[in-house]
Amino acid sequence: MAVTVITEANFENEVLKSDKPVLVDFWASWCGPCKMLSPVVDQIGEEMADIKVGKVNVDEEPGLARQFNVMSIPTLIVFKDGKAVNMSVGVQPKDAIVALLK
Amino acid sequence: MERYDIAIVGTGPAGLEAAITAKIRNKKIILFGSAALSEKVQKAHLIKNYLGLPEAGGADLQKAFLDHLSQMEIAITDEKVTLIYPMGDYFSIQSSGDMYEASTVILGAGMVPGKTYPGEETYLGRGVSYCATCDAPLYREKTVAIVGFTPKEEAEADFMAEYAGKVYYFPMYKDEVHVREGIEVIREKPVSVEGGMKVEKLITTGSAYDLDGVFFLRESVSPGQLVPGLEMDEGHVKVDRSMKTNIPGCFACGDITGQPYQYIKAAGEGNVAALSAVSYLDALRRAKA
Repeated sequence: MAVTVITEANFENEVLKSDKPVLVDFWASWCGPCKMLSPVVDQIGEEMADIKVGKVNVDEEPGLARQFNVMSIPTLIVFKDGKAVNMSVGVQPKDAIVALLK
Repeated sequence: MERYDIAIVGTGPAGLEAAITAKIRNKKIILFGSAALSEKVQKAHLIKNYLGLPEAGGADLQKAFLDHLSQMEIAITDEKVTLIYPMGDYFSIQSSGDMYEASTVILGAGMVPGKTYPGEETYLGRGVSYCATCDAPLYREKTVAIVGFTPKEEAEADFMAEYAGKVYYFPMYKDEVHVREGIEVIREKPVSVEGGMKVEKLITTGSAYDLDGVFFLRESVSPGQLVPGLEMDEGHVKVDRSMKTNIPGCFACGDITGQPYQYIKAAGEGNVAALSAVSYLDALRRAKA
């Protein structure tokens, strides 16, 4: 499934009201580790049909970063039924990211 | 991006021997570490059990090792490796200078004192960070402390000051500090990090500072942080007899794998690790053919 760019404007519809769990990747273009993690997050989005992947650029969306206390990137947050249920900070192995979704 | 066969991290006896063995086996290698070799080599007093070099001092060994490298035309990439990420059939490597790709990785970066401060791990990602260049823009107008373990980190403090409202710099070394104006240099030792949901205070030997973030910038990160998912065993990287770690294509050798901390043991393990990496590369090529 294609990756959705999440903004404050579409956050409610794309994330909170999503019928599938959403894996949201908080990133920025100046962050090296984010660039490493990003293709793996994309891969998970392609492999798992029952989830959705969203990306928040923290430079463009500082409000969302603040709202979820993102103080280090990359940060991954899993949303289920409108709630943040899991979170991980820093670069994680692929299995650990998949485990966040379980 | 150019893909190396083997990336080797560390310029102690383990990493150097791995590099030499891999080079003899005609592999395309990149060797990361200090160009003057590991400090542990330079500062060794006297080594009496290194085969063929009785009574060798650190400086003698350093010279002998460097001569061996130049004879084999092995260059050292003098950059600090900050993250190695397994991507499946290769590794993505981030250093202080650039990004690299390699099919296999050999960790020979020695043993780092694994001590962390109370509260450091609790607040990791909630105000504690190890990468100022990654997270500085998230601390716009905020108050942060940079705990720098080497003078190299002064540049990170300067970078942070471009964003943060207030920067305290705690040098963990004796040298004179050169940071930009406005950064407050404090010669106190951190004791612990405290807070509620996120970091609120850094407690030091002399005082306590109200702040939003603390950056611990150490000489080297622990192997588990360097390679996400790497299995450890009581502070050392867990390996088998062929120096394999739990991550396919990632090998470790030398002090990083555990005691005894001996030069000749480290060199021997470097040799084994390189040969195992060569076998792994062969298997990888066969699988792709």
